[in-house]
Amino acid sequence: MSIQIHTPASLPSNDNVPDNDYAFSIELAGTPWFTSKGAMIAYYGTVQFEPLSRTSLTGLVASQFSSPLYANDWVIAQGHGKLILGDRGFNINSYDLDDANLTIRASNLLAFEPGLALKQSIVPGFVTLLGTGKFLASSNGQVMFAEPPLRIDPQALVGWADCPSPSHHFDAGWMHNFLSAAAGFFGMASGEERQFDFTGAGTVLIQSSEKVIDDAHLLRHIESETQPLSQASLQQLHRSIGARLTQDGY
Amino acid sequence: MTMELVNSKVLKVGVQHGQTVTARKGSMLYYKGDVTFTPHSMGGGGGMPGFSGVAGMAGRMMQGEHVALMVAQGAGEVFYGLEGLYVEIIPLDGSSMLTVEADRLLAYEGHVQTSIVPLTSQGGIRGAVRGAMTGQGMFTTQVSGQGTVAVLSHGGCFPLQVGGYGGEVVVDPQAYVGHLGNITVDLSASVGFRDVVGRGSGEATQLKMSGQGTVWVQASEKKF
Repeated sequence: MSIQIHTPASLPSNDNVPDNDYAFSIELAGTPWFTSKGAMIAYYGTVQFEPLSRTSLTGLVASQFSSPLYANDWVIAQGHGKLILGDRGFNINSYDLDDANLTIRASNLLAFEPGLALKQSIVPGFVTLLGTGKFLASSNGQVMFAEPPLRIDPQALVGWADCPSPSHHFDAGWMHNFLSAAAGFFGMASGEERQFDFTGAGTVLIQSSEKVIDDAHLLRHIESETQPLSQASLQQLHRSIGARLTQDGY
Repeated sequence: MTMELVNSKVLKVGVQHGQTVTARKGSMLYYKGDVTFTPHSMGGGGGMPGFSGVAGMAGRMMQGEHVALMVAQGAGEVFYGLEGLYVEIIPLDGSSMLTVEADRLLAYEGHVQTSIVPLTSQGGIRGAVRGAMTGQGMFTTQVSGQGTVAVLSHGGCFPLQVGGYGGEVVVDPQAYVGHLGNITVDLSASVGFRDVVGRGSGEATQLKMSGQGTVWVQASEKKF
């Protein structure tokens, strides 16, 4: 029995590693890539990884990466060689944007070319890519594409392109119970009752599994959103979170 | 003995009389034919070539390299799989040793030898530092002899050539599965020492593999 051992020559240029949908091989030839920190699993050649805060390409970062919230999670990879990326054993696919925009869950975005600009989305835990270039996204299972109008479980949502931002939709029956029980705001558990509602023209990217990891990005986003709150509001938040923690038995 | 994959996560082993297969306890899914199972523990029985009894004992007890095993013998087919992890079959021709963590070993043919070695034996202090940095512990397992070994990974693993035309490969410590051949593993910090201390998993700590051989990497940073 023989096994096929990959060499820099046999690894593809900007495509999935043969027989493995979970690893992606990028050919680096001078042009830098933004890559998510920790996404690198191996590389051949000479590749440097520079944190955004201490890179030589400060101009590039200033113009293409406008999100202080995520700046610590990204590095610039540059040099020459083959760079292999992976993410939690998720499926990885590359997408091309041509003067377009796409919003994606921050923890599912792995890498993008500097032709694209990253901005923080208004929807917590998501980022928007604008411009022309290639980007890599990971998903739990193959990505499905669907057209609005549709309603989707927030956990199954990977991203959306060319359509207006979603709004929340709450199941009517659940709303009734919710109001009659007069449950507190933080009492609502993430289940089937809450969906994202997409309308208008565009494409929605959906992952086939609802399993998401503990999203550090989302937490940080919510934390940053609490800044404009007053002292009294913060205390109110403190109380309701405290009540929820007790209720959950922690 | 034959080892083949039923699918990417299930291994089928054909056993004949006089042959044994050693596998991780709890990984047997089902079997056909006349096969019996006996508990076994790694590091025992076959002895630890090249190491004194004390080192062997310490190795077995420390850092989770002690894994409960089951030996299957008889005639039939045994199917193995564990926690939905991917299985990779690695044939050993006897000329070089496979280095892999014990908890990544799913099954191996009875006549290959396993020994637990301290990381310090492959790279001095740097080996120990690597173990501490990557959370792999201070000990690792070496598999030698001629035969077939099945290794577990999260997200599927694939082999990369080290040396020859390819030159050096740099691997993320969390994505490292194991290596075969005469390879020197070095811990390198490419972004500067501050990042190594400060922000844990990033591209800060890397394993530089040089020499001649093959390294397997998995498409995930998940340790199991």
